[in-house]
Amino acid sequence: MMADRRRINGPPGGTRPAVFASNLQSGTSATDRAQRQRQPSELRKIFLKTGLIPTASGSSYLEFEPSASLAAARANPKSLIPPSSALKLACTVHGPKPLPRSAAFSPNLVLTTHIKYAPFAARQRKGHIRDASERDLGVHLETALRGAIIAERWPKSGLDITITILEAEDDRWWGSAPDSHDASWGMMNVLAGCITAASAAIADAHIDCLDLVAGGVAALVSDDSASTSTVAPKLMLDTDPAEHRSILSACVVAYMPARDEITELWLKGDSSKASLEDGDDRTGHEALIDGAVDAARGAHAVLAEAVRESLLKTVGQA
Amino acid sequence: MSNQRQASSASQVPHLSPAELSYLYSSLSLPKTPIRPDGRSPTQFRPLTAETNILPGTNGSARIGFADGTQAIVGVKAEVEKTVLANETLARNDGGAGLDRGEQEGSAAVGGHGSWVQMSIEIPGFRDDDALPVFLSEMMRESLVGAVGTREASDMAGGLKERLVINKRWHWRLYIDVLLLSQPLAYPLPLLSLTTHLALLSTKLPKRKSQGEEDPFFDDDWAVAEYLYPRPSLSSGKTNSTGSSFVRPPVTLLVISVGENIIFDPNREEIAVADAVLAISITRDSEAGTLKLLSIRTVDPPSRLTQPGVPNSENVSMLGAVAPTEDVAVLNPATGEEEVPGVWRPRRGGVKRSVIAEMVKTALKKGGVGEEVLEGLEGVEVS
Repeated sequence: MMADRRRINGPPGGTRPAVFASNLQSGTSATDRAQRQRQPSELRKIFLKTGLIPTASGSSYLEFEPSASLAAARANPKSLIPPSSALKLACTVHGPKPLPRSAAFSPNLVLTTHIKYAPFAARQRKGHIRDASERDLGVHLETALRGAIIAERWPKSGLDITITILEAEDDRWWGSAPDSHDASWGMMNVLAGCITAASAAIADAHIDCLDLVAGGVAALVSDDSASTSTVAPKLMLDTDPAEHRSILSACVVAYMPARDEITELWLKGDSSKASLEDGDDRTGHEALIDGAVDAARGAHAVLAEAVRESLLKTVGQA
Repeated sequence: MSNQRQASSASQVPHLSPAELSYLYSSLSLPKTPIRPDGRSPTQFRPLTAETNILPGTNGSARIGFADGTQAIVGVKAEVEKTVLANETLARNDGGAGLDRGEQEGSAAVGGHGSWVQMSIEIPGFRDDDALPVFLSEMMRESLVGAVGTREASDMAGGLKERLVINKRWHWRLYIDVLLLSQPLAYPLPLLSLTTHLALLSTKLPKRKSQGEEDPFFDDDWAVAEYLYPRPSLSSGKTNSTGSSFVRPPVTLLVISVGENIIFDPNREEIAVADAVLAISITRDSEAGTLKLLSIRTVDPPSRLTQPGVPNSENVSMLGAVAPTEDVAVLNPATGEEEVPGVWRPRRGGVKRSVIAEMVKTALKKGGVGEEVLEGLEGVEVS
């Protein structure tokens, strides 16, 4: 086992503030559960800004709009525990820089991706050493970006992309127990955010790409608590897992609109029971992929605007 | 070196010259009739030998060897463990807000937890925290715990996770240890996935003697142990000869696209020139008798890391030897890039949605590759 012996770590589960019975008269009833206020195809607003870290050759900061329930809970606090969380992450790009002398020759740009959750990013504390899920995310991000970067223009060079996640998405509503549909759904939203942010940072570092690659998420959710089996799940874009009772399957894509191509696809869960509109003869997974692509198109609009801003800033400085 | 390996995470940089790559690509992308280096048809798998229950110290094990010499061994071990209720559930039940206590406890006991299945992959030459083993194990674990049965009546209605629940306070923890014995010549995913499938099929758990909420207590007679993936009883097995009546673990197929062709189970040379690589996990839908998609992941194609070839018109040592009209860049319809025929260019960009749909369809369709693979695996006698 890899134990972190160099630091004095806090308790792995975190500590919780004292909650007095008098505050609990309402309990945690179903009304406290976060509810999706958006239309099925409506995306959350994205805040994206480049060039915030001056020492890096490119950087970006991305934030998703907090859900309506979180805003309501902040305005009128009932509980100390926030009902949902919104993604916040910072991305830095270092390079292109020469590879170390000891490295083997490479005719292409060597891409290295690091994704790390800050210890305080999720409700469960993360350690200082990257765990399996963080490494897995790193591989996904690398696949997404390598397809977009024109790597043969930088032989013998390396590019390091480091992402720190300051606040992660929840995998489910904090109050519900893990059930048969539990999986790390929040990771997929995190990956989509990472792709969009990394793409902005790469553009900020002036590295040639085929297109700005944007990430998008779509999911099949069934919200009716009574019986999940009778009601067919619906397709929703940009799902916040805290707002849904059960997510049956989800898909994240990295998409380049100019070429209509997908550089990274990650789909999991049972997509066979999707209820689509009449006359729609797509299969469940095709509808999911198309939905995720639509979400990515939305993110691409924000991305293009952020990159334009960064360019205007550089031109202004020169 | 470790930096290099991290970068080539999911795939290995092939040691083929641009000319070889170009030759491979053009023969694999021949319209409708690709010519594979080993003469297989596009959907044909490499021949393999398989055996199960080879490790006496495990609950289930299997070995598969491909004809090219790559071999993998999988051992499955099970351990009884106390179920830890989620922090939130405990806190709430202690807190005296007993309104929804029943509901909470009920829901905690119904479903298993994905983290009860632990998977580790060992590949020679890789550290256990390198990107490739981590990516492979997450990929296989995700489809394994994600597979949920459809028939309410059967034991496996909730899939593997639910099968691991003993009672509200105890559960099985499953360790799946995958060992690749040879150097990873090709991308080892299909080999590891098939071996894991067989090992899980042969896994037995001791028969439980305790009932309900008692502390678990097991029969020490190994002969009466029950399969982790229960078999149909003999009478129903005869009526339903295909064996599709019981739930089986999923398998993950590796599919590549080259030009307009879709090729299954690529070997090392074929994957080196692939335009797109997908890992598709499928299982049998016990209700409909068809195949069901569990997960798709793109794998970074190694062709993006290859060295480009130089056309004669740009080659200084060939200066004046070639007429400029001799090699003209033409548009490759599959990739949308300008290419000189016969001169290798590393792949760029992604994959079209239509190609993904076609790849999934070929894997899932009735009488297609997925069914063939699952039938082949069902043919392996599991003792």
